[in-house]
Amino acid sequence: MTRVLVPVEVLEGKSVSPGLMNLLGTVDVTVLGYHVLPEQTPPDQARLQFEDRATDALADLSEEFETAGGRADHRLVFTHDREQTIDRIANEIDARAFAISGMTGDVDRLLVSISGDVATERILAFVEALVGGREIGVTLLLAGTKPDERRLEDAADRLRNAGIDVRTELVAGKSPFRGLMDTVPDHDAVVMGENAPSIRSLVFGDDPERVASASVGPVLVVRYVESLDG
Amino acid sequence: MSEEPGGTNVRGESPDAEPVVETDEATITDDAELERTLGLSGGLAIGIGTMIGAGIFVFPGLAGGQVGTAATVSFAIGGVVALLVALPTSELATAMPKSGGGYYFISRGLGTLAGTVIGLSLWFGLVFATAFYLVGLGFYALDALAEVGVTIGASPGAIVSAIAVLSGIGFTVLNVTGTENAAKLQNGIVALLLSMLVAFLGFGLLEALGFVDADTPPGEAADVWEVVPIMSVAALVFTSYLGFAQVATVAGEMKRPGRNLPLAMIGSVVIVTLLYVLTILVATDVFTQDRLLEEGETAMVEVGRQLLGTGGALVIIVGGLLATMSSANASILSTSRAIYGVSKDALLPRWASRINLKYGTPHVALGMAGGPVVVLAATRQVQLLAEVASFLHLIMYGLICVALLAIRRDRPEWYDPDFVVPGGPVIPTLGALASFGLIAFMDPTSIAVGITVIVVTAGWYFYYARDVTLKGAL
Repeated sequence: MTRVLVPVEVLEGKSVSPGLMNLLGTVDVTVLGYHVLPEQTPPDQARLQFEDRATDALADLSEEFETAGGRADHRLVFTHDREQTIDRIANEIDARAFAISGMTGDVDRLLVSISGDVATERILAFVEALVGGREIGVTLLLAGTKPDERRLEDAADRLRNAGIDVRTELVAGKSPFRGLMDTVPDHDAVVMGENAPSIRSLVFGDDPERVASASVGPVLVVRYVESLDG
Repeated sequence: MSEEPGGTNVRGESPDAEPVVETDEATITDDAELERTLGLSGGLAIGIGTMIGAGIFVFPGLAGGQVGTAATVSFAIGGVVALLVALPTSELATAMPKSGGGYYFISRGLGTLAGTVIGLSLWFGLVFATAFYLVGLGFYALDALAEVGVTIGASPGAIVSAIAVLSGIGFTVLNVTGTENAAKLQNGIVALLLSMLVAFLGFGLLEALGFVDADTPPGEAADVWEVVPIMSVAALVFTSYLGFAQVATVAGEMKRPGRNLPLAMIGSVVIVTLLYVLTILVATDVFTQDRLLEEGETAMVEVGRQLLGTGGALVIIVGGLLATMSSANASILSTSRAIYGVSKDALLPRWASRINLKYGTPHVALGMAGGPVVVLAATRQVQLLAEVASFLHLIMYGLICVALLAIRRDRPEWYDPDFVVPGGPVIPTLGALASFGLIAFMDPTSIAVGITVIVVTAGWYFYYARDVTLKGAL
């Protein structure tokens, strides 16, 4: 079964939009409630004070996921380092993807980017499981300096065979990020692959984070798994 | 003997104890997980960053001024004592990788009375140490002002106090409101300091060995190679080694604690001992004992000037400012963790460890650290502050060794350290004897102040926490 990790900064009053909950109704969800502490504060000290409040909020969230049709459990972590926590939990539960929560209503059309050095096969398999026979259209996007049209069509065929309504979008001469930004309007959520860790992502932050903050909507990031993709 | 701590304090609060599972990456309680985020370099940075301020930038003048080149032996003795304690501390920390450090081991090994006395003395010991670092910072800031041409009028002492007090307030406020990741900054500062020192000491050693000549002033060294003065200097400069045990206060946040805790504690002691001994060697080679005495707290600046001209003096001033700041800041953080440790066990009111949601910082504990620090820093009593800090820490170090012997004898079921001190009871016994022995060489005033603190904290136990039981619990 496909499992998606949904990190939520639970004590900061963050929640998950109903649109994203519905979208994730076909997969298993682990809600990761986390709270980031400055290094002055031992995580245990925060747990002592905030555990009950955070657990209540998480239980409510899991329940909402169940109401939306999915299966959800939750974990609560106090940490100094958000990335490390998300990575650890994602590995432990063997999550296929994680969600960067954003505002959206009902999802009618997904934008799926296969640009760049990502594991296309696993992105497509994930999209198939996510759509799960529902009436959700997919726009497949391939952007880059010299995108390979053949790869895009192969990918589209694969999703069409699964009964999904697919459009394709080939953007030449633009970076994957710019291409994605130009295509985002008219879509309710983005699915993209996690790049292999690169120097650039250390300097500019990860693409998915930039996409999420630029597009407002939720972003589902299919994880880069070293053993499979490296 | 129960596995769970129990009883209540005078306010009716009980120790907070929840069964936990420790893994290399996180501590897992019933409903929550606590991520371990500190690596080996982070642990070394805490240990070295806390220690390096005093030993290299404040003490060479004071120690070399008393016994000349023989101060190298004093520093080496301090290093050996620290190592004798760092080994037992490592064993206990790998068996109990939790916040609280030395306090935690002693309260579990020796019971609530010893735990209360040490927990609260650690708080005060860190307060004295922080005040000492801040005064050192004040002296360096004064030199920096002089170097850029600002002349100080009649009362340089008042300026030092003012700088120490203001930076004490500054660090406290910064720690309450600062949510930026200062750990990376601390790592950077420690790396920068280490490379500066290695370059500087390398040149100094070449000079000392006669390969290069920097025109050191001639003079007969009045080195005092006698046991008692060397030991009393060792007792004074032991403040330079208060820091390795602070690594244990963040034990709960360290990744792979079984490996990283011993490496960070023992590694930081070995590294700073080497640096200290080399520094003294260079300083006492450049200047004779009487000249060092004259220059006092910032003698190293003149050593730098003599070796490398104005550039050398500037390097030492910048290094001294960075190092004393890093020591003071690291100690304020440790103090807040020490207060949390005792408050969690109901030896202090629970509100002492409250966190504000706005910044996520323990403002009460930080205030309880910063407030008394500021008062003490204003006194400018470098030697007294240093010795009282050492006294209170040495009591703890000695008892850590005793606690190890006690826990090994009682063997609670949960006791399963990843790191075991070799040689059976030999090292902890020597560590305890050395820690308590070093106290005998201190100034009587410092001993009196230290004993007063112990008596007051013991009184607190009888008033506040007599019914709390911690011994043998995990």
